[in-house]
Amino acid sequence: MSIPKMVGIEEEYALHMQGDHGLTPFQASCTLINAYARKKGLRAPGTKLLWDYGHETPFNDIRGPLFGKITGQEVISEEDNLRINTVLPNGARLYTDHAHPEYSTPECLSARHAVACDKAGELIIREALAAQRDLAPWLNVRIFKNNTDYQGHSYGFHENYLMEAEPHEECFVRNPDKALRSFVPFIVTRQLFAGAGRIGSEKPRDPLIPYQISQRADFFEAVFGLETMYSRPIINTRQEHHADSKRFRRLHLILGDSNMSEFAGFLKIGSTQIVLQMLEDDFLTADLTLKDPVSALRKVAEFDLRLELADGRTISALDIQREYLRKAEKYCQSGVGPQIPDAELILQYWQYALDGLEQLKLSKDFELLDDPFQLTRRLDWVTKLWLIQRYRQGRNLAWDSQTLRIFDLQYHNIEPKDGLFWHLQSQGLVDRILDDAEITLCIKEAPPDTRAYFRGKCIEKFPKEILLINWEVVGFDHGDTHRMIPLLNPLKGTKEQFEDVFDRCADSRELLAMIKA
Amino acid sequence: MRESKQTQIPKKKKAKEEDLTATPASSISSEEKKHKLKELDDFMEGVLEKAGEEFLDEFKQVEGE
Repeated sequence: MSIPKMVGIEEEYALHMQGDHGLTPFQASCTLINAYARKKGLRAPGTKLLWDYGHETPFNDIRGPLFGKITGQEVISEEDNLRINTVLPNGARLYTDHAHPEYSTPECLSARHAVACDKAGELIIREALAAQRDLAPWLNVRIFKNNTDYQGHSYGFHENYLMEAEPHEECFVRNPDKALRSFVPFIVTRQLFAGAGRIGSEKPRDPLIPYQISQRADFFEAVFGLETMYSRPIINTRQEHHADSKRFRRLHLILGDSNMSEFAGFLKIGSTQIVLQMLEDDFLTADLTLKDPVSALRKVAEFDLRLELADGRTISALDIQREYLRKAEKYCQSGVGPQIPDAELILQYWQYALDGLEQLKLSKDFELLDDPFQLTRRLDWVTKLWLIQRYRQGRNLAWDSQTLRIFDLQYHNIEPKDGLFWHLQSQGLVDRILDDAEITLCIKEAPPDTRAYFRGKCIEKFPKEILLINWEVVGFDHGDTHRMIPLLNPLKGTKEQFEDVFDRCADSRELLAMIKA
Repeated sequence: MRESKQTQIPKKKKAKEEDLTATPASSISSEEKKHKLKELDDFMEGVLEKAGEEFLDEFKQVEGE
């Protein structure tokens, strides 16, 4: 039987510096992260809280050593470790990845919680920006939650789902045809409701591509693979499970767009949770193998929804999604597998989005002619298209106009004073599924129902006693000895298990003694 | 979805009226909406102005995932 589809999100933000301040983007990002860490008391004298890279194996492939890459493990000094990383009491990691700020949410059981944590990340980075401006008012940095810079570079929205070891091995290692048959068609067409929308294409095309559903589709070149910066794969095969790999695996998906819309983000994660659970429970019997998944990904992004299957049939991308929805409805009623949080709402929104897409009418020049389901209020790519159309009307602007690109980027600016999405939300012009209070709570507290609770509580209560930390371990410095607490079962270490323990212990020595007892 | 592609999308199900009520619906009156849209237009003009001429060039990112 399947296990709960715990999920964690890695959100990579674009950093824009206005003017030349003599800082590299890497330095500016580190300044941002540390401004926040200092503000939250995580850089107080005596606090180490290093990120432990010991469990990161980005060059190992789940399919075996032949697919992996040989590389030496980089050694990083403590000073650099702290410059790059901060781990927060909400169980998240805020850090500099290459040259951009990245926020990895804590592990969540529900899609709703995952979206709330992702939104909390936006607010945390906004607060970091404010702290940075206090420290360095001359540094004009702006942050964007999007996936392309229009100059050939992409940065991702990565999803990580907990899977049971055996079905993961079966679908993605021993018998990848199963993934091609039952999972890839879903993930390729998911952009219909989860795409963030973008103007144009990454490379010049003739005829010109005015608008695409997905920001990321242009950057994908393979179905399975290890890479994340070139030859990007639909299914990333990195062998880095951050858990007891005899029991658990991590499915690392890098093809999603970053959503501003809560509705789209919730539906993206919720539907994926259900489909993965059906995959684990062998509930998906239809063969929807796409003839060419990479080409299909791009076709859908370019509004060419007619897709060819490997067996010669053709089917619309919407009908593929309808097929998954139909199975999901049956699955959720069947009682097979653990209960999926908010399953009813996910199914309802899924149906709503597909019905709305079916009724959505666009002109040949991508004007929105009819939107009876008001998807402009719910799906990012439709909202953005509507905004752009609104500005283009009467101005005779070509689709490759620089002005329209500015709007595309500013849709994703995380600050309300400049961000188009945030302006729409503040005016009630887009629908929400979350309360502000839910998001605020995710800034302060880790999810109660995963190991993130244990990690977060350790950081909240004993920051000066922690030497190092990562997703699967908390390591304390007890002077004469280092004590490591493994968190190899991501579903344990919950509030239900440990609230009382944390309430009673005064320091990490007592915590260890109580756990041992 | 696109008009030119409409005929290629088979319609299995017709949208039902209750589907609309089942999801969060807009509670904004048309007068209020008109006002908000005017504000949006002004906001967009302001965004353009503030972005500056160098914005797109300066936006270039150093890749890394």
